[in-house]
Order: sequence, then C-alpha cells, then structure tokens
Amino acid sequence: MIELKNISKSFWRHEVLRNINLNVETGEVVVILGPSGSGKTTLLRCVNYLEKPAGGEIAVGDFRMDCARAKRGDVLRLRRKTAMVFQQYNLFRHKTALENVMEALLVVKKLPPKEARGRSVSLLEKVGLGDKLDAYPSRLSGGQQQRVGIARALALEPEVILFDEPTSALDPELVGEVLEVIRNIAREGITMIVVTHEMGFARDVANRVVFMDGGVVVEEGTPDEVFQRPREERTKQFLRRITPEANYSI
Amino acid sequence: MQLDISFIWTAFRQILGAIPTTLSITAVSVLVGFLIGAVTALARLYRVPVLSQVSSAYVTFIRGTPMLTHLLLIYFGLPMIIDGLAGHFGWSFRSASIPMIGFAYISFSITAGAYMSEVVRAGLLAVDKGQTEAAHSVGMTTPQALRRILFPQALAAALPNLSNSVIGMLHGSTLAFAVSVVDINAKAQIVASTNWKFFEAYLAAALIFWGLTVLIERSSAWIEKRIGAYNRGGVA
Amino acid sequence: MGASFDIGYVFSFLPKLLDTLGVTLLIVAGSLLTGIVAGFLVALPRMYKIPVLRALSGVYLSFFRGTPILIQLFLFYYGLPELLKPLGFDLSRAPVMLFVILAYGLHTGAYAAEMIRASVEAVDRGQVEAAYAAGMTPYQALSRIVLPQALGIAVPVFSNLVIALLKDTSLAFTLGVMEMTGKAQTLGTLTQHFVETYIALALIYLVISFTLEKVLLAAERRLNRHEAREERVVRRFALGKRGSYRAALADIETGKGGGI
Repeated sequence: MIELKNISKSFWRHEVLRNINLNVETGEVVVILGPSGSGKTTLLRCVNYLEKPAGGEIAVGDFRMDCARAKRGDVLRLRRKTAMVFQQYNLFRHKTALENVMEALLVVKKLPPKEARGRSVSLLEKVGLGDKLDAYPSRLSGGQQQRVGIARALALEPEVILFDEPTSALDPELVGEVLEVIRNIAREGITMIVVTHEMGFARDVANRVVFMDGGVVVEEGTPDEVFQRPREERTKQFLRRITPEANYSI
Repeated sequence: MQLDISFIWTAFRQILGAIPTTLSITAVSVLVGFLIGAVTALARLYRVPVLSQVSSAYVTFIRGTPMLTHLLLIYFGLPMIIDGLAGHFGWSFRSASIPMIGFAYISFSITAGAYMSEVVRAGLLAVDKGQTEAAHSVGMTTPQALRRILFPQALAAALPNLSNSVIGMLHGSTLAFAVSVVDINAKAQIVASTNWKFFEAYLAAALIFWGLTVLIERSSAWIEKRIGAYNRGGVA
Repeated sequence: MGASFDIGYVFSFLPKLLDTLGVTLLIVAGSLLTGIVAGFLVALPRMYKIPVLRALSGVYLSFFRGTPILIQLFLFYYGLPELLKPLGFDLSRAPVMLFVILAYGLHTGAYAAEMIRASVEAVDRGQVEAAYAAGMTPYQALSRIVLPQALGIAVPVFSNLVIALLKDTSLAFTLGVMEMTGKAQTLGTLTQHFVETYIALALIYLVISFTLEKVLLAAERRLNRHEAREERVVRRFALGKRGSYRAALADIETGKGGGI
C-alpha cells in the first residue's frame, strides 16, 4: 500500500501542497480531481520524487522514507517501486516502441536481453501494439504512444502506477483507446493513482475519488459519494463547472 | 625577455590609428556582401532559372574554401583579367591603379556575400508562411506584403546571425595583411617587430578586437530587443 | 605580375599540394580533439551552474570568440613561452605545431562548448523525467537517454565547426608551418604562376569541405533516423537544398557566422 503523510511543497513562496495525507490500498484505483493549480499534478510528481517535497513521509510497500532527509539511494529505491505515465507521453525518442519498454528492464532491473524482450513483447501485445514493436515514437499516433507509455510503466512491475492526465494531450477520437487500456489493467488489480479530467472514466473505474483545491484535500469518498452527494461547497462548484450534465444525468 | 606591461599601453595607442582601416574593410564587405547575399538568396528561394544555380555554386564554393584563397585569387587573378581585357579593347585603365585596399574590399565583399546569402535565406525561411497569406488576405499586394510584413520579421529573425557575420568579417579583415594593407593586425606586427615586443603588441591588438566584438554583440542585442519587441515571450 | 595563365599548372600543382595535406589534416584532427575536451570542460560548469568556474568559462568563451584566430595564433606563439617561463617550463625549443594545435584547439573549444550546451539543452526535459521515473540513475539517464539524442542534434553544428576549422588552418603558415597554403605560396613564388596555384589550392579545400559535409550529413541522418520521415520530407520540400539550410542553422547555434 501507499502512504503519504504530511506532504508539503512550495514553489518560491507559493505553497502548492499543504500537509497532504493520503492512503492508497493495494489494488485500489484512486482518481484525483481538482481545478488547474490545485496541486494535484505536483502531488503525483512528489510520489516518485520528480518534485522534491519540502517535508513529509512517503511509504510504498515495505519502503518508507522521510522526504526532507532523502538520500540518492532512497530516491532510486522509491522510483523503482513506482512508475509514471506522462501527459506528454515522454517516450524515449531515439528508441523503438519495443526498446522503450525494454530499456528499464535492461538497465534498471538488469534482466537478460532475451527475457526483457519476451516480457516487453507480451506487454505491447496486451496494449494492442503487437504490430508496432519496431516503430519509433515519431511514427506513432498520440494514442499509440501513450499505450507504449503504459506498457513501459507496467514492465517495471511497480507497486503503483501514477497517471498524470494521461489523455489530456490526445485528440478527442484517441482518448477512448487509451482509457480502455487503463480500464483493463485496473481490473487486473494494479494499484493506480490517476489525475484526470475524464469524469466518466473516474466514475466508472475509481474505487475512490479525491478532490483537491488550493493545495489541500477538500473531500474524498467513493465516486458515488463525491459525484452525487458532494458535501463541500468547493466540490459542488467544481463539479457544476466541469460536468454540467452531472446535474441532469440522474 | 619579460612581459612589459607599460608597452602594451604604448602599442595600444599606436595601433588605435589602424582602427579606421579595419572598420572600413568590415563595413564595405558587410554592406556589399549584404546586397550580394540578398540577391542570391532571393534567386535561390524563388528558383530563378540560371541565377539560382549560379548563386548556389557561388555559395558552395565560397563556403567551402578559406577566405585567404579568395583574397589571393582576386589579388593575382583580377589584374590578369583586367589587363588582358584592357589590352584587347585598348583601354587606358591598368590594374596597377587599383589601390591595395581595393583588393581587400572586392575580395571580402565576395566572401561576405556567400555567408550573407545564407543569413538572408534563413531569415526569410524563419517567417511563418501564414504571415504572407494573412497579408494577402487583407488585400495587400505582393510588394506590400514583402516590405511591410515579411522583411521586418525576417530581419528580426536574422539579426543574431547578421551580428555573427559582422563579427566574422571584422575578424576576417586581419587577412588584409596579405595584400600589405595596414589594418589592426598588420599595425600590431609593425609595432611588434620594430620594438621586438611581440607578445605585448598582439595582446594590445587582441584587446582592441575583443572590445570591438563586444560592442557589436551589445548593439545587436540592443537592436534585437527593440525591433523584436513583438516576439517577447513567444515560442519563436 | 606573374606569368601568363596556363591551366596545365593547376593539374601539376595538385599532387604537390596534396603532399602537404597530411599536415593540414593533422592540425585539424589535433585541434578538434583539444577543442572537444576543452569544450566539455567549459560547457559543464555552465550547464551545472557552478559559481566561479562558470564565470571563468564565460571569460574564456568571450575572449576566444571575440578575437581573430590570426591574433590568437601570434599570441600563443609569442606569449605562451613567456608566460610559462617563470613557472619553469622552457618552450623556446618546443615545435611550432604545439602552439598551432593549442591555439586552434582552444579557439575551436569555445565554439564546441556552445555546441555541447545547446544540444544537451535541446533535449526535451520530459526525456530525463521519464528516465528518472523508470528508476535510472542520473548517470544512466545522461548516457543512455540524453547524450544519444543530443548527439543527433549536435552533428550539423559539428559539421560546420570542422569545416570552419579546416578553412582556418590556412593561416598556420604565418607561423611557418608548411601546410597546404604555405606550400601553395612557395610554389607560386617559385613558378610565378600564382593564380594556378591558388585555384588548385581552392579546389582541394572545396573537395575536402564537400566530402566532410556529405559524410557528416549521412551520420546525422543515421543518428536521427528515429525522427519522423514525413517531417524530413516536408522540411526538405519547404527549404530547398537542405544541406545549406543545416549549415545556416549551425551558424545560428554556434555563432560561427563568418568563418575565414
């Protein structure tokens, strides 16, 4: 399980995260919602230390670290227990789809090439790209690139996969294929924290929805609780703005 | 022999007198070079038959050979051509009446022209095609679009490159020693050999060039800031 | 001035000039090596923002880009022995080649430093993040992800740098090194057929520059084969001759605008 305790973070003098506490059970899918600037992406990036939190504690599985006193080795261990799917995909541009998935298996996990290859091929098949093994990212559509990104994250067999607005950069007609892949791996019981604006997806897949605003967790609960019976005024306002249909749907 | 600090100052003052020569060579080659560059760049961009092939060959040749060979070829070759033609047509003009600095002007202008051609071309290509289309869409004629929309933006885009070319020609003007023109470098050589203080004299010359270069860089940055104001914060 | 023009001399001079090609190429290779090492040493403190060293490398860059290579040659030749004498090094009998390679090397280093910095910075920040997120160490991220991509970006600039260096070596004769240009002058004086010698000389430089450019263009294509082919075609179509546009871009990136 994942445990975030009192995570805080400021950029210059602006406090982006204020003592965030969040627990995610193994196999749970947590969706973080919130207006832009609410700190949700920063929180996600703190979990694998792409942003350095000013203070707090992060625990992933049996590994626990104090953010203020993290050493290089700690950061590496944390990153090897987590994986990230980026908004801009960030596939390694000079490597093929297959090489992108294999890279960390070879370099980080030190698997023999044959085994790394086998595992990568089956993961790419799983995301529906068995026929694109040797394509470079520049020759893949956004949706295909993001599916490679997901396969790359899965390859690490992390304790948790962090999704940072995985469909925000995609053309509308490509969103579906990526969400479908995420939905499928969610069903396999892989722990996920997802930052997204896709309300339908959140309602459908999330075990728990967390609403953030102004660097704090305003409200959390099951999708039903948060979407149908939000308690906080800020949550209600946000939901009205982002999903007008929510008022009419049921 | 020991470093004579005070002689650096003496040499510095003596060399100052050669600055106008260096600057005039630089200015002539940059200005004439820009004209040659603009014509050849436009010929290549608009694929003018014959002229564009000639321009490409010219740019390739000049960029592929050292500036010194251009100077030497002009210095030895031009009189041959002129005197040959003069003899043939019975002109009274002879190559001997061309001043030494004239060879530097001609040759360096030809050198600069090829580099300027690339600068102008890159500048024009840097302007988004949509800009010309938009100009046409509001009813401008092609010359209007070029003059009012395309050129100002191309100039802004080309400015850093232009400044580098000016610096390149300033530094290149030191080659004028080969045709006995007394520029900063040649003056330094004279001061050095008459006083037997080579290091000091060249140090003084280096300081003068360094100062001039920084001056060009600063002015270019200043101009860029002024004419490029519309670009502030953009991606381009 | 000189004897009348005879094209035959051009051909007879070619092999004689080519005898000294080795010297020219030795200067190019030696300076390139020195320059790349110097370039890394100067670029690193600038990229990692190391206080004092960063300021020092700024002065180095400004000086070597702010003064003509000809002056730098003389400064090294006359100055280095004087500067090092108090430290106990006697360079009065050092070969001229040492000064030549050092001067060209440090000159090239100033441009190489900018090339290295610009290429590394041109690699998208997301690439490093993805490498870190996958659990790579900073060294792994640099060597496996950033540098291979930076290399592809650097090649056109590098190509320009090498050709500029080749052309600059035509000044080494001023210190008495018998490279191609020096040899050409000797031949010219000897036969009084100056125009023919310099045509032959220019032809050799042209062929070497052209070959270098083509070889490095092929290397660039290979290194960037991961970039979309359609994009490359569009670029070439829009820009006409791609080679010279690359060179123009290279000028923009290093600031080696004129070149001698």
